[in-house]
This record gives sequence, C-alpha cells and structure tokens, in this order.
Amino acid sequence: MSEPVLQIRSLSVDYPTRAGLVRAADDVNLTVFRGEVLGLVGESGCGKSTLGMAILRLLRPPGKIVGGEIVFDEHDLLKLDDEEMRQLRGVRISMIFQDPMTCLNPLQRVSEHIVETIRTHQPKVSEEEARKQAADLIDRLGITTERMDDYPHQLSGGMRQRVMIGLALALNADLIIADEPTTSLDVIVEAQFLDLLRDLQHQFNLTIMLITHNIGVVAELADRVAVMYAGKLVELADVFPLFDAPLHPYTQGLLKSVPNIRLKEDHLQIMDGSPPDLINPPSGCKFHPRCSHVMDRCRTEEPLLRETQSGHWTACWLYE
Amino acid sequence: MTEQNLVEVRNLKKWFPVQKSFIERLVTRQRQFVRAVDGVDFDIRRGEVFGLAGESGSGKTTTGRAILRLEKPTSGSVWFEGENISDVNGEALRLKRQRMQVIFQDPYASLNPRMSVGDAIGHSLEIFGMAKGIEKRTRVMSMMERVGLTPMAPLYEKFPHQLSGGQRQRAVMARALIMHPDLIVADEPIAMADVSVRALLLQLMMDLKEEFDLTYLFITHDLATAKYICDRIAVMYLGKIVEMGTLQQVYSDPKHPYTQALLAAVPVPDPKARRTTPMPRGEIPSSITPPPGCRFHPRCPIAEEICSQEIPPLEPKAGQEEHLAACHLVK
Repeated sequence: MSEPVLQIRSLSVDYPTRAGLVRAADDVNLTVFRGEVLGLVGESGCGKSTLGMAILRLLRPPGKIVGGEIVFDEHDLLKLDDEEMRQLRGVRISMIFQDPMTCLNPLQRVSEHIVETIRTHQPKVSEEEARKQAADLIDRLGITTERMDDYPHQLSGGMRQRVMIGLALALNADLIIADEPTTSLDVIVEAQFLDLLRDLQHQFNLTIMLITHNIGVVAELADRVAVMYAGKLVELADVFPLFDAPLHPYTQGLLKSVPNIRLKEDHLQIMDGSPPDLINPPSGCKFHPRCSHVMDRCRTEEPLLRETQSGHWTACWLYE
Repeated sequence: MTEQNLVEVRNLKKWFPVQKSFIERLVTRQRQFVRAVDGVDFDIRRGEVFGLAGESGSGKTTTGRAILRLEKPTSGSVWFEGENISDVNGEALRLKRQRMQVIFQDPYASLNPRMSVGDAIGHSLEIFGMAKGIEKRTRVMSMMERVGLTPMAPLYEKFPHQLSGGQRQRAVMARALIMHPDLIVADEPIAMADVSVRALLLQLMMDLKEEFDLTYLFITHDLATAKYICDRIAVMYLGKIVEMGTLQQVYSDPKHPYTQALLAAVPVPDPKARRTTPMPRGEIPSSITPPPGCRFHPRCPIAEEICSQEIPPLEPKAGQEEHLAACHLVK
C-alpha cells in the first residue's frame, strides 16, 4: 500500500451543551493513504462532519478536540500554532463543502480567484502565465472559458462545485476533504460531477476524503469505506467487500435500507429504532439497543475496532 | 371527467413575471416570464400514488401548488372531483381545500414552534368549526394513535423541538389526515430524513393510504425512492411532461432520452454497478427563454433537425396506451 497522507489516532471530540456533554467523535483511528478515495459514511449526527472539521481544526465552538493526534506530513496538526495551521489549510489540505457559494468570494471573478490561488502557491508565475493556467484548468473542469470571468453567483451550483475542485487542483493539495460535495446538486449534475472527480482523481492521483450520507455516491467513487455510528468508527474495509459482505450489524442494516433503483424488490427493509442520544449514550456497544444479534457482553463492554479479516476492520463482539 | 379520476389537469400553465428594475421596465417594453409550468396534462386516479419527478426547476412543485390552488394557474384548468377549481375563490375554495392536504419536506418548518403538537394537529378542526375542547382532544388523540405518535397524552403537550425527526413527520401526517382528505400532495416528504428513517416513513405513508383510502401526489427528485411508492409516474423537464406511464413501464423501458439519462444518473449503492452511460452535456437551460422545439434537444444525444423545430406531443409509444413520451424519434 502507498504511504499514509493522514493518520488520525485516538481522536475524540466533545461538544459541551447545556444538557450535558456530547462526545461527537470517540476514540477514532483512521489512516488515509496517498491516491485513494476514502468514503466516510453515516447518518446525521454520527460524527462524520465533526471528524472532517476536526482535521482542519475548524470545529465550531464549543466543539473541542479532547484527545488524540492528527498526523499530516509527519506533524501533529493539533500541535501547530494558528498561523502554521492557516498556512496548511486550503493549501495542502483543500476543502469542498456542500454549498460552494460559502467558499467562493462573491466579489471576485472565478478567473481572479484561480489566478490568485496559483500565484500564492507559486509566486514566480507571472500574472499572464497564471491566467493561461487558469484557462487551461477551467477548460479541464468542463466549463467553457467564456464563463471564466463570471462571478460565482452567475454560475450554476454544479459549476461552482467544479471551481472548488479546480482550486484544489491549482494548489496541488495533498489531501482534499469533500463534505457532502454533491448533496445540493441535481442528479444529472451530480453524475457529471462524480465523473469529473473520478477522471481527475485518476489523472492526478488525488487523495480524497469523501464525507457523505449518500451510500450511492460512496459506492460510485470510494476505494475504501469507513462507517461511523454514534461517534464511533464501526467498520472499515475496501469498497467491494464492504458492500458484498458487510460485517457490522449496523452496516448490514444500513445497506439494506438504502433504496436501489436497479433492484426489482418493491419494499425497503426497516432498521428498528433510531440513533442514540449522545448525551446519554447506551453502555457497551452503542448499537446494542438496535442490534438483532445482541449478546450480554454487548451491553456492558465496548468492542474495539479490530482487523477481523485481512483489511476488513470491525468493532463488533460477533467476530471475537 | 371519468369517475375513476380524482384530479384532472388540463393544459396547465403557470408563468411568473420576471421582476425588473424600474429603469429596465421603461427601456424594454417586453415583459418576460419564467415558464415554470408550460402546458401539462395528466390525471390522478382515485387510490393511486402518482409520482411527479424531475430536477430542480422542472416545475414539479409549482404543478403541485397549482393543484392545491396555492398558485392560480396562468391558463389551463385543474379539476378536482369533477369541479374546475382553477377559478374558484373564497368560501368555495376553502371548502375544497378540506379535501386536499399537503406535506412538505421539512416537518420542522411546517409546524408552529409555539403551538403544542396536539393543538397543531387539531388546529384545522377548530378553523373549520368541526370540533373544539374535549371533542377536539379526543379526535386528535385517536389520530395520533393511528399514525403511531405514542404515548399520546405526554406527546400532545410537547412542542415540535422536543420531538424526534420521525415523530415530527408523523405529527405532520396526523395533521393532514385529521380532515379526512381525499388527496395528499406530498412534496419531497422524506428528502431530509436519514436512510433508516426514510424506509420507516415510506412504510407509514403506505399503511395510512390503505387505512384512509388516500390518493397521493408524490413529488420528488429522488427516482430511487419513488420506485418504492408510486403506481404511475410522470417525468418533467423545463415545465413539460416528457414521459408518463406506470412505474414498471417508465423504469424498465424508458422511452425519452431524458428519462433514460435521469434513471442512469441515480447513484446505485453497489460498487459493481458503477455507471457507464454517458451523461447529457450541460445543465437545465433557463425557463425564461426555453429552447424551441423539444426542450431537451440541445442536450439530447440523438437529436435531429426536427427536434429543434417542432414541439413533440406527449403521445403513446410502443403501442402502449398508458405509456406516453414526448419525443419525435421514439416510436
């Protein structure tokens, strides 16, 4: 396997609230390797976005990292000072969010944005040369070059999201964190965007952490998949074994309740219960109140994420 | 109007004027319109789930709103139980509206945060003078039980923010059902729900449909979900219906190139089924100046000359009376 780009070790994030302490990410261990697309899936409130924001150290207060380390390029990001972190963010680690409008400067033309990005990263490049590179890039993103002097609000959602990818490319980022990048897009535009992302990923060997609730998007793009439940990483495997033979009962239930347009069956399996209240999480395995395989042990002891099959990690007592 | 149709929509158009600045209005005399819905015809049969699918800007929501008479049609008509409701007003409209209810995407936004759940569910009983006091409370409680909003007594007094997402959606269902409507317009009712809740809500909608003899207009952008609930479906593009048929017909043998693309674009939760069909170029054009002829022709992979000149009629294809498509090139 290739070298690790990012290593998350025993990371925990807390949100103190008036009602009590919420542990949004609980002892998470995860490594992202160069050139892979790692899909991070889970339902709302499972901690997947918290994890993404924690890597960027952009947790919204009162959210706080209370333990662990995040190693990027041999440095623990949690030990950098604010200025060093700022140098890294958006330059070596790029971000793509659900709403690209919030990330683009509304007063700057798309071309200016890209030119500025290129020149910040490579100060030796002349204005003219940078503009040529920007035009090249915009063309590669499937946007006609006559649109490059538009302002962000003049572009469609799909085009704005392409520009975000373009900025990450212009910076030659080591890691792209994409949090629900296609959630606000229509289905055909989403498919176009996924096609583009896949092409660019192959072409430039991009490393992408893809955070989404959309199981279909993960199946389409990811090489490996991490599943989160109630702040815990419960399963981690290559995309094919994960979909073919999921091990954790939560993953099994989740995959069965996803609508699949290609299948003939006409009703969905229903997973009982709902995700727990993280202020008073269940004891032992956090999934045990909903689990059909629950054993005594699950109620008291919390299972750790273990490699139960080669390359397939699960946090479940069934595989002890 | 045949007995089996609850709703008939005939050549429905809804154009919204484009807002312009004062000076622009002086300079250009011509008024511009967003042609949100531009001539659609369909029937909703009693007891069926009729799906209206399309991307944003296709006009599906405006069509739903016109049926509820939340929008007054620019032209064309909507018939409900044999009566043209497109220009009914005042008290007559109010009475018609008892027969139809609506559920929106975000149950939180459609419940008054300052009204207890029980009061919200029973509000329309009071408005229509059908029940109040103890009588109202009893009817609300019984409806809460039927939609699975239990335990009823404590939940009755709760406020929306104290409920879970699933409970809020049940409260919205209860509020719609308490009037015993014939038609429920569900506009993206489960788009915000998580995967595991989604299956539950679909099941609830189907159970309640049986119990209350409901007819649904199910408006959605999510073709994968529509598959689990719709009996018939119409696909809209830029204010027009491009294809309509039974779910089986449209999904297993889509005729219109747009429907084909739309179905192929849906991400499939199976890495072995990664998509190979190329996607149409570009995005939905502006509905202020829609392309002439077939509105899909600039993006269509098989377009010919005629497609840019004549608007294709929505007509039966492959000899199947119920399976309609609007395409010059498909037989």
